[in-house]
Amino acid sequence: MAALMRPGGTDDGGGSAVTTAPAGLVGGWSGGVSGAGSVRRMGRAITSNRKATAGTALLVLFILIGLFPGVIAHDDPSAQVYARSLGPSGAHLLGTTAFGQDLFAQVIYGTRPVLLIAFGAGLGATFLATLIGVAAAYLGGAWDGVLNLITDVLLVIPAFPLLIVIASYLHGAGTGVMIAVIICVSWSYTARQLRAQARSLRNREFLEAARVRGERSLYIIAVEIIPTMTSLLVAAFLTNALYAVLFSSSLQFIGLGNPEVVSWGTMLYWAENSEAFQTGQALWILIPGLCIVALGAAFALLNYAFDEIGNPALRPVRSIRGNRVKRPK
Amino acid sequence: MRRLKVIGVLIAAGVLAAACGTSSSPSSSKSSGPSGALTIDNESGGTWTCDFNPFNLSYLPYSLGPVYEPLAFVNTLQSGKASPWLASSWTWGAGNKTLTFTIRKGVKFSNGNPLTAADVAYTFNLLKKYPVLDINAVWSVLSGVTQQGSDQVVMTFKTAAVQYFYYIADQVGIVDQSVWSKISNPSTYPDKNPVGTGGFTVSSKTCTPQNIKYTANTHYWQKGEPKVGTVNYPSFLTNDTANTYLANGQAQWGSQFIPSIKSFYTSKNPNYHYWFPPVANVSMFINLTNPLLKNVAVRQAMAYAIDRQKASTIGEYGYEPASNQSGIVTPTFSSWLDTSQASSFGNNYAYNPSKAISILQAAGFKRGSNGIFQSPSGQPLSFTILNNGGFSDWVAAVQTIQTSLKAIGIAVTPENLAATTYQSDLYSGKYQLAYGSETGGPTPYFELRQWLDSANSAPIGTAAGSNWERYSNPATDALINQYGATTSAAQQHSIVDQLEKVMLQDVPVIPVTESVDWFQYDTGSFTGWPTPGNPYAQPAAYNYPDWGQLMLRLVPKG
Amino acid sequence: MRFVLRRLGFFAVTLWAALTLNFLLPRMMPGNPALAIMGKFKGPVPPQALKALYAQFGLNSHQSLLSAYGTYLGDVSTGKFGISLTTQPGNSVGRIVLDAIPWTLGLVGVTTVLAFVLGTGIGIVGAWWRGGRLDSILPPIFVIMTVVPYFWVGLVLILVVGVKLHWLPYFFSYNYTLTPGLSGAFIGNMLEHAILPAFTLLITTIGTWILTMRNTMITTLAEDYVRMARAKGLPGRRIMLDYAARNAILPNLTGFAMSLGFVVGGAILIEEVFNYQGVGYLLLQAVNNDDYPLMQALFLLITVAVLVAILISDLATAILDPRTRGAR
Repeated sequence: MAALMRPGGTDDGGGSAVTTAPAGLVGGWSGGVSGAGSVRRMGRAITSNRKATAGTALLVLFILIGLFPGVIAHDDPSAQVYARSLGPSGAHLLGTTAFGQDLFAQVIYGTRPVLLIAFGAGLGATFLATLIGVAAAYLGGAWDGVLNLITDVLLVIPAFPLLIVIASYLHGAGTGVMIAVIICVSWSYTARQLRAQARSLRNREFLEAARVRGERSLYIIAVEIIPTMTSLLVAAFLTNALYAVLFSSSLQFIGLGNPEVVSWGTMLYWAENSEAFQTGQALWILIPGLCIVALGAAFALLNYAFDEIGNPALRPVRSIRGNRVKRPK
Repeated sequence: MRRLKVIGVLIAAGVLAAACGTSSSPSSSKSSGPSGALTIDNESGGTWTCDFNPFNLSYLPYSLGPVYEPLAFVNTLQSGKASPWLASSWTWGAGNKTLTFTIRKGVKFSNGNPLTAADVAYTFNLLKKYPVLDINAVWSVLSGVTQQGSDQVVMTFKTAAVQYFYYIADQVGIVDQSVWSKISNPSTYPDKNPVGTGGFTVSSKTCTPQNIKYTANTHYWQKGEPKVGTVNYPSFLTNDTANTYLANGQAQWGSQFIPSIKSFYTSKNPNYHYWFPPVANVSMFINLTNPLLKNVAVRQAMAYAIDRQKASTIGEYGYEPASNQSGIVTPTFSSWLDTSQASSFGNNYAYNPSKAISILQAAGFKRGSNGIFQSPSGQPLSFTILNNGGFSDWVAAVQTIQTSLKAIGIAVTPENLAATTYQSDLYSGKYQLAYGSETGGPTPYFELRQWLDSANSAPIGTAAGSNWERYSNPATDALINQYGATTSAAQQHSIVDQLEKVMLQDVPVIPVTESVDWFQYDTGSFTGWPTPGNPYAQPAAYNYPDWGQLMLRLVPKG
Repeated sequence: MRFVLRRLGFFAVTLWAALTLNFLLPRMMPGNPALAIMGKFKGPVPPQALKALYAQFGLNSHQSLLSAYGTYLGDVSTGKFGISLTTQPGNSVGRIVLDAIPWTLGLVGVTTVLAFVLGTGIGIVGAWWRGGRLDSILPPIFVIMTVVPYFWVGLVLILVVGVKLHWLPYFFSYNYTLTPGLSGAFIGNMLEHAILPAFTLLITTIGTWILTMRNTMITTLAEDYVRMARAKGLPGRRIMLDYAARNAILPNLTGFAMSLGFVVGGAILIEEVFNYQGVGYLLLQAVNNDDYPLMQALFLLITVAVLVAILISDLATAILDPRTRGAR
């Protein structure tokens, strides 16, 4: 099976984010495995795969910062109370902005909205996709036709332009609105994957058994089908979260977010508006950008690692085949 | 020139950026003709469409002045001093109800046709026939425009409206009757190849989506003008791309807000200068239909409590000086400021938080447990302030207002909205407090009228052209109309003094900082720029027809 | 034949959905273009002008939503997108858009093809010499590059390569003082202006192709027919290209076809930071000015481009591979 590329190599505005669907997972080790089992497996995988370890560590770091920004930074991130455009010093680790705000505090406090969007939109899109994808597959018939059509239509409508158009109508979208909009434009890809996966399960024995037991559809979907797709769901979440980070930062950078929210994307917006690069304040642009990269890398590394875990063929080195033997890593 | 620069840059990578700006005019054939290429740097917000219809607000900024010329030039920076342009002279008559222009002889359109009084009369009657073209609403005061004799045009007014001279004489470009009479629908006519009398020509051949190229009109009626051979006006989507372009010496005439201008611009080359002459105010508008804000004591308290200097320094990098409550923009209109009158109002409402508090207490307001003043009936002085979130300087300035007002017990919450929402809310009166600016005009009267004339207002829910605070006072309206009936400077000054008193007594709006003309210039390759000592026109390239004056006066350096 | 009809049906439904979205979205927003223009002009705009602007934009007429929808569908079906609000009069939206398309096709199109070819190549080689020097350096670097916001990369490159080092021009699609034409000087200048934006796009998108190709290639290398080829002792290069790569690349071609469709949508932020006048630039211009007709036309154009690309790739696959015709 091919690793599918998510459509829109260049339309996402932010980066093109590797989104190889963990196709291997689908056939590889998901069918019929109980939910708890696969979670345990994942835990083991995280510790054994270097990419997964690095990704997890980064993500946990950002989550901690996002949860407790006040512990790390002591300044109010929006208060314009210091001298303008100071360089880095003991008092201001990264200096101050052209508006006299502490840059370090902005970076630290800016983490939370980004994470909220990443997790909110990531989980939201994955949830919506599950609902629609699995419902389509399970209900079949006309339902499947309609839901599948909606999914396919949304899949080909370019997401980033649509996002820009919607955001421009909303004017200054705050975090909540941003999450909602990103969910709306980004669930379709996952829904399609999940539908395919759920269809392949439809006639499996354990579902037949449940049906024979007289379980309700909802129960079957929630308890029997969805747990078998845990690994696929995790991968979908990682992809959606990564996209949400890139989408939202891009929108904020062009001024389509709420400029009052302190987050990495709006920091870039203000920095670019203040000509930070050419007025000796490169850090104002570099640091938020690097933070976006680091968070994005965390999601991408995890995704990459899950791909390898799911598809043993992709695991690094080990000369399984009689290929020219290379140096071990 | 730019091409040479690019190639040069490629060859000698690492050469100073600053040097590029001075590498201009390689033309050795410096006879008497126009020479040199000047580049304007001003964010256009998109690509050019290469239309130059002088009666369309979207395009006239790119044709009125250098291509189409008006009858007279009214200089805002010299208190509205009018000088002849296409009209050689004019007189008011019949109790200031007729205005007679004598049209200059020897002026030719770029197609060779001579300019006649008939063309001028035709132009104004075209605006009457197509009200859509009359963007300055000159026909709201005019009753007729006719040719008189061979070289005169007589305009008759419904009522005396002297202040309309600015809109009639300075803001309407004169067109060639033989060209425009053949156009079936002038309101949608794109005018790709404009035929004007101006010092420069432009056509569909010299305009691309990326750049408008204005070429010197070698048959211009002012002998020896213009001296600049070409003016390029490239298009920029955003302010910061345009700023980068300017600061790296690729343009000589900037017209934008530049943050940290010293480190970003002037420090890069000794030839780089800027001048930001103030022309109007940025004010806090107060919705006078709000029951709490109706109370003049609350408004006066706010006028004392706002630290205008801080708003200027923090919000505007000090580029936009602090305003005064009289509403007179200084130093541009200093001669209009009635200082003795203003000093009796706490030195023109100079920053004085304790006075603000005592005014509120005297009016029966008491501090609540949270430190916020409450009206006798228990309503807290807590308001939202509408603001344009797209203007980073305004957002910062409003934050200082928030701090200032909080210090005296008035709570203010900023609502930073995107431009269109902001505007529709402001115009239709859906706000409590709002930060914004009117356009002003060649004398302080224009801005005061925009603020105070009830005719400019509208009921809440309907868009008002100006007077967004909905101020209405018959006595003030009468004053405003008196101004239109007099050409005497002394009387005009006296009327403006009385309007200043309205501002001081009633505090319908609170001017916070002055709004300025953004203007940066490079003396390395061109001289003749307007300066504080020689303010011959408003210097930013977006001022029409003023920029046409600059293009005529600039001289390439040999 | 049924397959073709079904794809055409899907094409029509999607088009209708995009059209309807297009119609509904602008009507949910506050503000109007006359106000936007008033705000846009920094110079003196007398208050009286507001009325004239309302008249110019025909904003005084009121129409029910349903009848407006009817008019809209009728207009669009006859190719009338209306007059661009910020660029009227006389400039049909179509004309403005046509001016922008070639620039985006040139810049983003060529870069997309380059990214695919290079990325696929690196993927093939990386998978073949798995764990080798190339494989342990390039894929990880470029995979990380895919999560870097490319507008940010653009900003850094403009500063370093353009502003500081003066190696390359960084704004505009060509030196605007040149007359566009087929002269060598003009073409050279145009290419020079494309280098920075293209490079930015290339290094941030190539990772996707590298990874997908590398992964499918690795999976393919484990297939029996490849083992068989090896067992037969065929030369390595032949196995790599003719056996493994040829089959591994097939699934990626669909993705490639789709991404070609997305080319028209452009690299929106790239065009913004490089002041490069393509379709994406135009979209942001429309957004900044609340120019609905322009925005609608662009969004539709971008969607149709994707649809056409998908349709072509579907039909091509159907013709080339009969098995797909029955499948869904």
